[in-house]
Amino acid sequence: MILYAIPILSQLESVMRHVLDWFHSNLGLTWAWSIVATTVLVRMILVPLTIRQIHSMQNLQRYAPQMKEIQKKYKGDKQKQNEELMKFYRENQINPAASCLPMLLQLPVFIALYYTLKHFDFGQNADLSWLHPLIPDISAKTTSSWGGYVLLVVYVLSQMASTFFMAATADKTQRTLFMVMPVIFVFVIARFPAGLVLYWVTTNLWTVGQGLITRRLIAKTPAPAPERRSSRTPPKDDGSSGNGASPEATPPKPAPPASQQPRQVRRKKKRTSRR
Amino acid sequence: MSAVLRAPALLGVGLVWLYRVTFGAFFPTTCKYHPSCSEYAVQALRRHGLVKGSILAGWRLLRCNPWSHGGFDPVR
Repeated sequence: MILYAIPILSQLESVMRHVLDWFHSNLGLTWAWSIVATTVLVRMILVPLTIRQIHSMQNLQRYAPQMKEIQKKYKGDKQKQNEELMKFYRENQINPAASCLPMLLQLPVFIALYYTLKHFDFGQNADLSWLHPLIPDISAKTTSSWGGYVLLVVYVLSQMASTFFMAATADKTQRTLFMVMPVIFVFVIARFPAGLVLYWVTTNLWTVGQGLITRRLIAKTPAPAPERRSSRTPPKDDGSSGNGASPEATPPKPAPPASQQPRQVRRKKKRTSRR
Repeated sequence: MSAVLRAPALLGVGLVWLYRVTFGAFFPTTCKYHPSCSEYAVQALRRHGLVKGSILAGWRLLRCNPWSHGGFDPVR
């Protein structure tokens, strides 16, 4: 491939080979299990980023109703909808869960593994020991054994499951598209070495496990509505300033003119920013 | 810009598209910025050429981490 002309790629490949070799000769794993171990290692390194993402997701959950409102408001115009959402994020100091860098950090690993599988002679122990029929040889084409087909099915299922947890979009059509994609990709992937599919399955399963933990964490944390605080203030105000007429006037009318008490104006401001 | 001068930038745009249809398609996470990182890269390459466009795109990718806030961030 042309990509291999880039010098850094051959270095990446040699790093990958050393890591795999370390697992193979020091821990006595077969080459196939070394790939699984390497994948887990990579994902463990990415855990700090993941924890940060979990926090973002928890935070995001609190603003879900307001965000849905924005999406409804600009339903026809995707561009405007995105811009308004981004503005909303900035106003409320929200840190969206998705970001490109952690995802992109996996790209070099993937490329390095691809070339290692292409060039390195694994010889014996290139299988999953007791799962031997599943992957007889990690550097062989996935479709070269019946176990490879099983692996491909596992891949599709794991990819769908990981999409279910990771797709940051709430858009229904987009989500469906993402779910269907692995079925199309499987035809491309079938020609890759089995070890690469193994990597993919492992990383997907990690994502699913992570997703399950995340869901539980989010479910446990109550979603406090930060805006509600404003409704708690009026009782205090009534005692101090004694404006009996204005609280009666406000509830039925959502947006009266701004020529009112300063406190009421402040409340209005909050309400508009919520939209 | 003449077609010759634009060629390297178009090569970069081609690489972004290659990424989009291959690796990018496997990870359906949406970007926290608008326009998204890859869209930003395409615009930066078109407007500033291969060298400066690549630097801008790279800097954007570094900014697109879990600690940043994202938001509306067009190519200037």
